[in-house]
Amino acid sequence: MHDMTLSQLEQLGDEVAVSEATFQMDEDAFRLFYERTARPVWAYLSRMSGDAKLAEDLLQETYYRFLRANVSHESDAHRRNYLFRIATNLVRDMRRRPRMAESPLADGVGHQEPADPQSADAADGAVRRLDLARSMARLKPRERDLLWLAYAQGSSHKEIAETLGLKAASIKLLLFRARRRLAGLLREGGR
Amino acid sequence: MIAECVREADVLEAVALGRWPDRCGELAAHVASCEVCSDLVEVARALHDDRAWLCREAQPPSAGMVWWRATIRARAEAARTAAQPISVLQGIAGACLVGAAAGLATVAWRSIHWMDRIGELAVNLESRRADIASASALATGHGLPILIAVAAGLVLAPLALYFTLADD
Repeated sequence: MHDMTLSQLEQLGDEVAVSEATFQMDEDAFRLFYERTARPVWAYLSRMSGDAKLAEDLLQETYYRFLRANVSHESDAHRRNYLFRIATNLVRDMRRRPRMAESPLADGVGHQEPADPQSADAADGAVRRLDLARSMARLKPRERDLLWLAYAQGSSHKEIAETLGLKAASIKLLLFRARRRLAGLLREGGR
Repeated sequence: MIAECVREADVLEAVALGRWPDRCGELAAHVASCEVCSDLVEVARALHDDRAWLCREAQPPSAGMVWWRATIRARAEAARTAAQPISVLQGIAGACLVGAAAGLATVAWRSIHWMDRIGELAVNLESRRADIASASALATGHGLPILIAVAAGLVLAPLALYFTLADD
């Protein structure tokens, strides 16, 4: 057997590192995919984490894990669902951390309101978003995930089941209960 | 129990396409009288509008930045992974050296006791010079090589450790 010095071994390790650093998806394909998905993923992370700054970190982590997974996807929709699945798992991990115990959603609501403050529509929209944030904060995390994926993201029951790791048959009932609860809270003005 | 309505899909579509409520005269009349669809409109509209607003206002980092960070991190992780076996080998080599040094020390300690017994034997057999001579020969024949081996081990072990752990 050919003897190798420690430095040669380390050099070999560096070469392996460089070759392993490439992802299955090339940069151009990633850019296209990112441009299509970054904003919805950011919106999801922002609402589920309740923190716009944290959402940015989670966004980076989501795409990193997506690239590292090197999974081949049969369609763009499948790829997008996979991305949301990663994002959901990240938010779950974050919720388990003690610091997220407090105010899950209210923080993200009031950040930057660039619209004209004199506009009645803008003010009305801000109030509705605040109500929604307060109401969502009173739901269970899984209910929030379900509702967002179903009604904000427009995912099918099957896609929601895949994203959240639930049985497809149970989605209908869970969604119905969550929807009824949120509707009640919204009518009360989120209080 | 789940309450369902056959118009749910229509309501969802109207909200998703931004037609609700202005262009939904008949559907709006239905929603006003249907509890299920009323809940659906309340929730779907709020979430749909919220998502639209968030997507408008979102300022995610550029694709290039995300790609660049991911590449840097992937390389760092790959380098760490590649270095792991080397670290393990270094650890094993270090542990072997420590074990060998401990073994040598034990042998040396035992040989000292053994030489003490030779000394005692020599005292007891003082009157018999011939026996003393044979005992001395025994001590010289076995104790000295052991002492040399211990000394060599103590000198060589740090050197071996240095060459194992050195980068180049």
